[in-house]
Amino acid sequence: MNRKSLINLISVSLSVIVTLLIIFILLLILNKDPFLIFSKIFSEVFADGYGIGQTLFKATPLIFVSCGLAVCFHASIFNIGAEGQLNAGAFVTALVALKLDFLPFPLLITVSLICGFIISGIFGLIPAYIKIKKDVSEVITTIMMNFIILALVNFFLLDFFAVKSTMRTEKISANFMFLKMEDVIPFFQGSSLNISFLLALLLAFLMYMFIYKTGFGYKLRSVGFNEIASRYLGIRTNAVIMISFFIGAGITSLAGMNYIFGYKGFYEFGFSNNIGFTAIAVTLLARNNPIGIIFSSLLFAVLDYGGLSVNQLVPKELMLVVQGIIILSLLAVDKLVNNYFRGKIVS
Amino acid sequence: MDILTSIISLGFFAQVLRLMTPFYLGASAANFSERGGVINIAVEGFMNLSAFSFAVISILTGNIAVGFISAVIINLMFSLLFGYFTVKLKINQIVTGVGFNLLIAGLTKFLLVYIFSSSSNTDRFEGLPDFTLLGSIPFFGVFLSDYLTVFCFILIFLSGYILFRTRFGLRLRSAGENPQAGETLGIKIRSYRLYGILICGFLSSLGGIWLASNQNSYSDGMVAGRGYIALAAMIIGKWKPVNIFFACLMFSAFEALEISLQISGTDLPSQLIQMLPYLITILVLIGFIGKTKPPAADGIPY
Repeated sequence: MNRKSLINLISVSLSVIVTLLIIFILLLILNKDPFLIFSKIFSEVFADGYGIGQTLFKATPLIFVSCGLAVCFHASIFNIGAEGQLNAGAFVTALVALKLDFLPFPLLITVSLICGFIISGIFGLIPAYIKIKKDVSEVITTIMMNFIILALVNFFLLDFFAVKSTMRTEKISANFMFLKMEDVIPFFQGSSLNISFLLALLLAFLMYMFIYKTGFGYKLRSVGFNEIASRYLGIRTNAVIMISFFIGAGITSLAGMNYIFGYKGFYEFGFSNNIGFTAIAVTLLARNNPIGIIFSSLLFAVLDYGGLSVNQLVPKELMLVVQGIIILSLLAVDKLVNNYFRGKIVS
Repeated sequence: MDILTSIISLGFFAQVLRLMTPFYLGASAANFSERGGVINIAVEGFMNLSAFSFAVISILTGNIAVGFISAVIINLMFSLLFGYFTVKLKINQIVTGVGFNLLIAGLTKFLLVYIFSSSSNTDRFEGLPDFTLLGSIPFFGVFLSDYLTVFCFILIFLSGYILFRTRFGLRLRSAGENPQAGETLGIKIRSYRLYGILICGFLSSLGGIWLASNQNSYSDGMVAGRGYIALAAMIIGKWKPVNIFFACLMFSAFEALEISLQISGTDLPSQLIQMLPYLITILVLIGFIGKTKPPAADGIPY
């Protein structure tokens, strides 16, 4: 292990510890028993195959979305619009799957996922265009796009495609549903875990190869690290920004796969439950590294499922506080740790 | 036709000016921070925080003055923390802002459920009283019945004066334009950046207080992107107080239009009306303004 990854490891684990400490103190202030709550979270999550299965199920969309964000973040594009992008993509994925149900299974899945990918990607191109042409930060525009896309999806869903008096589309035929893990491994009995999880792991691995081992990945990181220097190297930086925004936003659409093909069989408004924002925390915690994303997604899934299990003791919204504190403590601890080690070298 | 007449009425203009208040407070807040060289996209979160603390503390103590002061103080404390992250530790300002937004959103949701056992809103309370001094003036009185709206009108000139006519403003802008040059002249750049952030915290707290006071309660997600629209107004207004004011007027006009359309019950789908302000922002950014030019050292840690 080289020095840099050692420092990374130290700061990530330190910041998780700091977060736990802050939450610990917060719970004490609110007159709750932190030991009881933490032990209940872990005992519920790791008690049986169901708990583990549900946790992995919740980690799946986080891995997808975070892998998409990692592409953007590596190019120094701060895409906060994942929530909108993934909803647009998932919505279109479900619609295409409904309309083209005459296609054979693998083809239907592929076509509908590609359509979703393209739609999400196109919504990513708009902020990219404004960033390049008008020099307006993508942060503002992606946030605006979130509101616009969610309103559009809501409009098209309710006015044209929804089952009456619900917020969801029709159900796709059971023939097209993914294999549930419980049918293969009885250990996961009752949980919604499906092969999307394996696909998510595969994607994380592929994205790792893409970002760190390909020519485009190199250009991407180069632009992210120093855009002006990259331009002098002959990299067409604007093209790189457009492409990485397209790919990054497109990948977020895959989050719908877990829900549509793996779980419910339809698109439902609000299914994403702010995954687009949680994924920002997940990606930052993983240092934009797709392999790290697998682990940080698992951590957040444990928090998510664990939060549900302690809802009687303390409101499950506590986990949102944990997410916020994790980001901030990671930022601060990382800086302090790096400063500390830099000080060591100098002295 | 009904819509048209309702739009040209005096009441509509009063509504536009009233709704302009949180936008302008948020946009001026962000402007002070960015003039000092710190991008603060946590304005949304700060407005949310102060709306929450103003409502909750007013309800718990039964005294809106206590609520008002505590909301401002809590916001200043969070601003100090934001300053520690961005100025002292020099962490990426946008990432920090996103972190603050997430933390504050989580914190308010959590405390809302914890204190009021409701995931949607607090109890009702009596908001800020009307401003009666100028309210009795014929015709113009309608526009001037709210303390914070009146404060906004003063703020247009006050912020312009502070930024461009005082020593403080010059030094603040030097922190945002060329910190190295400022430093060589003996200006404590980091202190000025912190002052900018603190002013931002103060003004955004007023924006949040107006929202909660106007609705007589706090409800989850009530800021609803106004902080971000304020940032967009600041960009469209090119970091100039008067231009920002007109950008804010445009956004509040759309919000007022949305409200009148909903009341008059048009066939237009409500989702499409709701997305208007955001769509307008994107369109304006794409086409109708030239290249925007932020303060030169905006967003660069120093």
